[in-house]
Amino acid sequence: MRRHVWIPLMAVLAALLTGCGGQEAAPGSDELTLAAPRDLVAGPEDPYYVHQTLRVWEPLVTVDDRLRPVPALAASWSAADGGRRWTFTLREGVRFSDGTPLTAESVVANVERFLRIAPRQSAFFSLDAGMEAAYGKVDDVRAEAGAVVFTLEEPVADLPARLAGFFSMVQSPRAFTASGGFAGKPVGTGPYTLAEWVKGQRAVLTANPHHHGPAPAYERIVVRVIPDANARVAALRAGEVDGLIDKGALLPAQAPAFAADDTFRVLRSPSVLTHYLTFNASRRPFSDPRLREAADLAIDRQAITGTLLAGTAAPGSAFLSPVFGDLAAPGVTAAYDPARARALVAEAGAPAAPVTILVSSAETGQFPYADIAEVLRTSLAQVGIPAKVTVAEATKAVMEAGDYDVFLSAYSVPNGDADYLFRRFLRSDAAWNVERRLGYRSAEFDRLVDLAATETDAAARRDLYHRIQRLLAADRPMVPLAYQDNPIVTAAAVGGVRQSVAYVVDLGALAPST
Amino acid sequence: MTAVLVRRGAELLFALLALSLLVFLLTALAPGDPAEEILRRGGVQPTPESVAALRAELGLDRPLFDRYLSWLGDVLRGDLGRSYADRSPVAEEIAARVPATLRLAGAAALVAGGLAVLAALLAVLRPGSPVGRAVALATVAVSGVPPYVVGIVLISVVAVGLRVLPTGGGDGPGAVVLPAVTLGLAGAATLLRLLRADLAHAVRLPFVRLAVAKGLRRRRAVVVHALRVAAPNAVTAAGVMLAELLTGAVVVETLFSWPGVGQLAVTAIRQRDLPVVQAYVLVTAVATVLLLALAELCLAACDPRVRR
Repeated sequence: MRRHVWIPLMAVLAALLTGCGGQEAAPGSDELTLAAPRDLVAGPEDPYYVHQTLRVWEPLVTVDDRLRPVPALAASWSAADGGRRWTFTLREGVRFSDGTPLTAESVVANVERFLRIAPRQSAFFSLDAGMEAAYGKVDDVRAEAGAVVFTLEEPVADLPARLAGFFSMVQSPRAFTASGGFAGKPVGTGPYTLAEWVKGQRAVLTANPHHHGPAPAYERIVVRVIPDANARVAALRAGEVDGLIDKGALLPAQAPAFAADDTFRVLRSPSVLTHYLTFNASRRPFSDPRLREAADLAIDRQAITGTLLAGTAAPGSAFLSPVFGDLAAPGVTAAYDPARARALVAEAGAPAAPVTILVSSAETGQFPYADIAEVLRTSLAQVGIPAKVTVAEATKAVMEAGDYDVFLSAYSVPNGDADYLFRRFLRSDAAWNVERRLGYRSAEFDRLVDLAATETDAAARRDLYHRIQRLLAADRPMVPLAYQDNPIVTAAAVGGVRQSVAYVVDLGALAPST
Repeated sequence: MTAVLVRRGAELLFALLALSLLVFLLTALAPGDPAEEILRRGGVQPTPESVAALRAELGLDRPLFDRYLSWLGDVLRGDLGRSYADRSPVAEEIAARVPATLRLAGAAALVAGGLAVLAALLAVLRPGSPVGRAVALATVAVSGVPPYVVGIVLISVVAVGLRVLPTGGGDGPGAVVLPAVTLGLAGAATLLRLLRADLAHAVRLPFVRLAVAKGLRRRRAVVVHALRVAAPNAVTAAGVMLAELLTGAVVVETLFSWPGVGQLAVTAIRQRDLPVVQAYVLVTAVATVLLLALAELCLAACDPRVRR
């Protein structure tokens, strides 16, 4: 009789253990499972439906690892009329996943749709400020002899760079409804099509039989959504997923353990994300340039990037990070010199009340901002500037009230458009500068930014941007703290992993490693 | 009974109305400008003009009370608004997540209830037996550890170490086991304490002793008769626990990437997707209020003393 108690219990346990059957069967060599922190599919209400990473659609122009525009669906381009007329020649023999051919008319239809529905929010890149940079000066776009021709109101020196990526997405015009939404699934030219999507859980991609390039190595790729950083890492270690991709796939602190493990491969590629310190120069003490310089000199960037960011970032110096290629000013350095900083504080007079270092609570999840802010606090205190840290939910309101002295935050640009950063953030009339009380007013800076924007000669434009950055390094309205990499990780069995500076992993190039 | 129903119904309606106002104010007065947050996705600073345009489109520039009334009207029609993140209808999003939460809550309740009944019976039927003591001790000890820690240990031992069960995710029948065990262990101890005490008391009641004296096997007397008398406190506690489980075990769902309403809420909070947060709070609060009212009604139906 005694054992009877155990019979039902054993039965339940047995049912649980056999019923679950452990994990999904190990994927065959033609199937791959990845995980990302966010859903890379945004759905039919989004301007793009899917993220560029999934390679369902392709853009006209994309960027290389130095943010230089390179051909994608456009085979080549040329400018005429001093940068007022741009002609994009399309790649031959390209078909959409529904079998219809890519034509100049279909590209024009996509551009017209963007112009019609903007401004429109997106889970990826809003059709807003970046869109204005891309298409703001377009007077007319039309198909001419199989090519796409943009006629502009004023010369634009770098139209291909501004169009690169999301803003030059091309999908079959049949995929769209009259109101600019999607009629069904996205229809692109990329190596994959979206076969299945369970919102917030997974996207299933299958190879596109009509793709113009080489067929991808994996017939099927499942991209799971795992928002929690620890759960992502557990799924990878348990062998349920073969890799973690996308922005913030690995927290900086998680990267070293995988890098040391040769069953995994960590790819640390630079990204467009830069951590900046923004000074409130509209009030004391940082209205005094000597104290801004002292604060800058007090920071040991090497310690922050090496320890707190676990080597996933490089110390910042020039305003534009190295991913901007030759636009980044060479020779601009950010020194660590506490002795000189103390001398400057002594000369200018130490502030009596502690300065406020402001951090957004939204950013403390991805980067160790609370720790970095604490290091900044001690660094400032050591050179004679007492400081305190404030973590706020709504930093905008705090900044607009002028109730901060230093703001720590990360920014990125949608493409290699340097003008955008300077014009939106630091020009004397920039919303960021004025509303957030940066208090930076420099006629010289404004003049140089305007000159660079209309300069069509590449070398002259580059020199102007170098001058702008040298000016910023001296004035210090905002100082770059660190250039952030975006580490991603895959099982060693997965090869062909490449990541662009805009976190785009080319899923079409993944292949079993040999 | 009818009078009770009417009075309780009126109270419930008032509670729900107050609740809706509270939920609305909580999210409407949250700091930050949703229009700017929406446009800042992708890390790019929006233009002031498009922020203003979006504010107008979302109706954020209207007076607060106007916004409440139109929101309440929409809610009563089953329209919970559209997500800021991707413009999809929030009601659909929540509805899609409810089955996963129900599955997890059901499995967790099974684990908690099963463990509690088993351990309580063992303790009473075989006081002093090492197995019974071990089960009771383990249950109480584990319940003292936060579910987050239990979950991490289970993931690293069972899923990553032994690889016998998935780390979660919601696909496949095995995925529910670890999160359900994590949640179930947390609930089991409370139920066990109530049930064991009440059962120990019940077996000493004259009618149980009479039954045994009349020749009924002790096991049957305890399992069939005493357990029934001992159940009400534990059942009430289980009702409250179930209500908590249904609101989405936020921590456990996040830890096991379980696609339920709790995970949806966490993602929405991170993205400042206010309509989703608002809908989540509203739906779970309404569900809790209704469940508790239902539990009270059940007790009233069973026990005449409660009706007064």
